[in-house]
Amino acid sequence: MASLGELERAVMERLWAADGPVAATRLRDELADRGVALTTVHTVLTRLEQKGFVQHDDARPRGFSARASREDHAAELMHEVLGQAADRQAVLARFVGSVNDEEARLLRELLGR
Amino acid sequence: MLPATALALAVLAALLAWPVPALLARARWPVRDPLVALVCWQAVGLAGGLSMIGALLVHGLAPWGHSLPEAWWSWVRGEPAADPVRGDHWVTLTLAAVLAFQLVGVLVLSWARIARTRRRHRELLELVVQPGPQADARLLEHPAPVAFCIPGARPLLVLSSGMVAELDEDQLAAVVAHERAHLAEHHHLLLLPFVAWKAALPVLPAAERAHGAVRELVEMRADDVALCSLSGTAPRRTLAEAIVAAAAGSAGGEVPAGALAVSATGVRARVVRLLEPADPLPPAARWSALTGAVLLLLIPTALLLLPAF
Repeated sequence: MASLGELERAVMERLWAADGPVAATRLRDELADRGVALTTVHTVLTRLEQKGFVQHDDARPRGFSARASREDHAAELMHEVLGQAADRQAVLARFVGSVNDEEARLLRELLGR
Repeated sequence: MLPATALALAVLAALLAWPVPALLARARWPVRDPLVALVCWQAVGLAGGLSMIGALLVHGLAPWGHSLPEAWWSWVRGEPAADPVRGDHWVTLTLAAVLAFQLVGVLVLSWARIARTRRRHRELLELVVQPGPQADARLLEHPAPVAFCIPGARPLLVLSSGMVAELDEDQLAAVVAHERAHLAEHHHLLLLPFVAWKAALPVLPAAERAHGAVRELVEMRADDVALCSLSGTAPRRTLAEAIVAAAAGSAGGEVPAGALAVSATGVRARVVRLLEPADPLPPAARWSALTGAVLLLLIPTALLLLPAF
């Protein structure tokens, strides 16, 4: 039995790969190798909706689709990581901040010595 | 009588609010032993808050007894004061309560806000990252060379594909070792009081200075810990190269210009101490700094708990 986190990833992969909205039954069929029940698929979809990653339309049966592409999510995250909000370093520990071109040149000189 | 105690605490609070942080931030030895310096900063922060609130509390409760515990107990039970209670006693009592609520409240709020942002980042990351080159590191598809970790109950260590492309294997191992050190030593907890202190007392220049110093020291400490676990021929140089590559690689990107200057001096200090290491602090200096930190905490505690002279 796969964990919810893994299932969330698997469902998102299917939604990202799909052309349009996907019904829950189709997701269950595509995830058949994991032996997932339809209720589990619904649970995962609800969780993803609460997190703001998935939306559904009003068709019958409901079609589910991803709110943003994987690239958009990665870009959103990197925007936060690269931004320098006051408590950023408390939220996540970044290896090193960015410097401007002049500083970058000085740093390379330090290495070259 | 308590006035002498209140005065002593007030003097200590004033020293810890400005001259002591200024001296510690300007001192040269912290670079040689970031861990000891971090202990000193924690002591300064804690003793500062303790003496500031303590001075107000002791002055306010002076009419009720000869020691703070005694006066406090008598005040809580609503006993009449032994000496006449003047207006300034009530003012300082109110100030003590406001300051205590402010410091503790901001600490709790900062913690909650940071935890919420972390959870959001973790949710996003769990969807978009893939297994990385190292067992505990994940890979995020992005051209900028970035590495970071999200601390907490379920820590995440993330490398961008740009970072993996930019660095060789040894340098990458150095980056991962640095981030692992942050997680292993819970550096985010050392940083939290200073984030909160800065938010609670924005008028105090020492709060800003302390936060900046602790941020830099935490990075240096993680560098030191990383060096211990690296093999290779010249681990110091490898780590320095990784720092320069990562800092310079994302130059001119989407980073706001205003925030650059501060971090640039920090980056240079890290690279310099890796390439030209200063001698480690002699044991005597190390122990006197640690003793100083312990005394800094003991003095206000003793002043608060012992009967006044």
